[in-house]
Amino acid sequence: MNRIEARMKQLQEKQEKAFITYMTAGLPDMEGMKAIIRANEAAGCDVLELGIPFSDPVADGPVIQAASYKAICQGVNLKGVLKEVESLRAQGAEIPIAFMMYYNTILYYGVKAFVESCVNAGVDGLIIPDLPFEEQGELKAALLEAEKEKGCETPILIQLVSPVSAGRIPMILKDARGFVYCVSSMGVTGQAADFHKEIVNYLTKVKEVSPIPVMMGFGIRTAADVKPMKDIIDGAIVGSHFINLLEENNYSPTAAEEYVRTFKKELNM
Amino acid sequence: MDKRYYGEFGGQYVAESLMNTLQELDAAYEEAIRDPEFLKECAYYLREYVGRETPLYFAERLSEAYGTKIYLKREDLNHTGAHKINNVIGQILLAKRMGKTKVIAETGAGQHGVATATGAALFDMECTVYMGAEDMERQKLNVLRMEMLGAKVVKVTSGSNTLKDATNEAIRTWAKTAEDTFYIIGSAVGPYPYPKIVKEFQSVISREAKKQILEKEGRLPDVVMACVGGGSNSIGMFADFIDEKEVKLIGVEAAGLGIETGQHASAMALGKPGTLHGMRSYLLQDEDGNVQLAHSISAGLDYPGVGPEHAYLKDTGRAEYVSITDVEAMDALMELSKLEGIIPAIESAHAMAYAKKQAAKMGKDEIMIVCLSGRGDKDVHTIADYLAGKGYQN
Repeated sequence: MNRIEARMKQLQEKQEKAFITYMTAGLPDMEGMKAIIRANEAAGCDVLELGIPFSDPVADGPVIQAASYKAICQGVNLKGVLKEVESLRAQGAEIPIAFMMYYNTILYYGVKAFVESCVNAGVDGLIIPDLPFEEQGELKAALLEAEKEKGCETPILIQLVSPVSAGRIPMILKDARGFVYCVSSMGVTGQAADFHKEIVNYLTKVKEVSPIPVMMGFGIRTAADVKPMKDIIDGAIVGSHFINLLEENNYSPTAAEEYVRTFKKELNM
Repeated sequence: MDKRYYGEFGGQYVAESLMNTLQELDAAYEEAIRDPEFLKECAYYLREYVGRETPLYFAERLSEAYGTKIYLKREDLNHTGAHKINNVIGQILLAKRMGKTKVIAETGAGQHGVATATGAALFDMECTVYMGAEDMERQKLNVLRMEMLGAKVVKVTSGSNTLKDATNEAIRTWAKTAEDTFYIIGSAVGPYPYPKIVKEFQSVISREAKKQILEKEGRLPDVVMACVGGGSNSIGMFADFIDEKEVKLIGVEAAGLGIETGQHASAMALGKPGTLHGMRSYLLQDEDGNVQLAHSISAGLDYPGVGPEHAYLKDTGRAEYVSITDVEAMDALMELSKLEGIIPAIESAHAMAYAKKQAAKMGKDEIMIVCLSGRGDKDVHTIADYLAGKGYQN
């Protein structure tokens, strides 16, 4: 079973909420990144989102833009990150890992080759903010083909919904797997707790029709931020704030572990 | 066939939160262009305010010098000095019709920004223009113009601080504010339906030119030429000639310091298909699939991508795409100034430079139309620096 789906199933059985963190790949460097990933695993992080840096991250706010730019300047690229994920898996890391990336990076690498590389490295999910449902055909076909050819698990394409998706939600959720990523506000990542005015209604509507866990992301810093939605959602995703925290603590794995442990505990209180 | 695509190019590579907005825009646009009242309103402002139709001028001395009959479609005579205003009038009337009260735009050289600020002043809308920090420095006069017209110019300091980053920032803002804000895209780029909308509003160029050349020459031209950055003046210049198979269409990209130097803006010559700014098209990229900086002496051609319909016209062979260096463009600029008393924009000078090369292959009774997309007033500082041998910033 896919690691993300397996973890979601476990959590549902235990009636626990999921906690997901996002970090830009390759920061502070590859070794430092792997240490942070291991710290996340030790602290019980349920899915780790690894951001593949791209020159034009239109779905991201200033924090992730800056991190992405820094990583590119350090020479971080898709090929290198795939290699590190593979080495983490070889060393026994079992934390579910999803790549958060822009579609151009996949197109340039080659869609088919990309899917194969993900399978080989042990990537469990793909979150692609500039690939709406209507444009997913090519990638879905490649995922399906790899599954048939190799008879193995391929990464899950995680579906995003927004506060204005409304009538589009059933279509998006029809074959969705893993979890559904509910964007909490209009616009970009990292707008501190500035959630959409209809956030509760919107999340309730998604939860009502979703056969898979509902995760909320964008603008979340602490478990207190999502308290008003706690009974609706199945978990929370923290990105920009986690990157700020890493920067402020000089990428200390201990600080990361502490933050994840606390968030997860408070989320499940 | 998927109406959102031109062959394999186009599409809607945007965040889920914009998909409904694009759908609404497409529906509103399709309804508007079937409404005689809307078309009448567009035509009214193009005539009374922009000053259309623009002349199709027979450049006699230039024709003699280059050895073929050259007609210039004088978009430089439009209000605000370039073709950009054609599209702004159309989109802003559409915005008004959709009940939007605010408009945003991206700008590189500032021409689209000035045109948008102009339209916003005319129709009393709140206007914000996103511009790269570096471009604001290079184009101070246009920044001042926009501010005089009542627009707010936001300095973009992310990424490379130029047009592509200004566009990213405009897209981010739009995603946040689409409920009351209309994004006026200035080139034939972006997610569907923008390339279609920009083409429609710019196609007035070729509609007029076709009628004018038939009046003057009693036949269609042999060659139609225009410069290509994102590709709005060129798609407008090509539009009504695309189905006239005997008319050769040529798009001229910027070769900057030379294609071989890597310092250029020729997405068609060296780009690979990719996705940027909501569309799939030819795109300049590095070995990791990151978007590369374009380079051209002309800020208006300084864009790493190209409109999706151009990519399609290239792949199907319907249009030919060539490129012209900074030096060739500046030579052509000086030549047109001296021979015809017309100082063209540096963008348009790229088309003029290739016109000279193309004319050498043509007979003296053959006919070529070149789109003179804008006037050179905005470029005098760049021209002065260039002539002084100081080069220019980029």
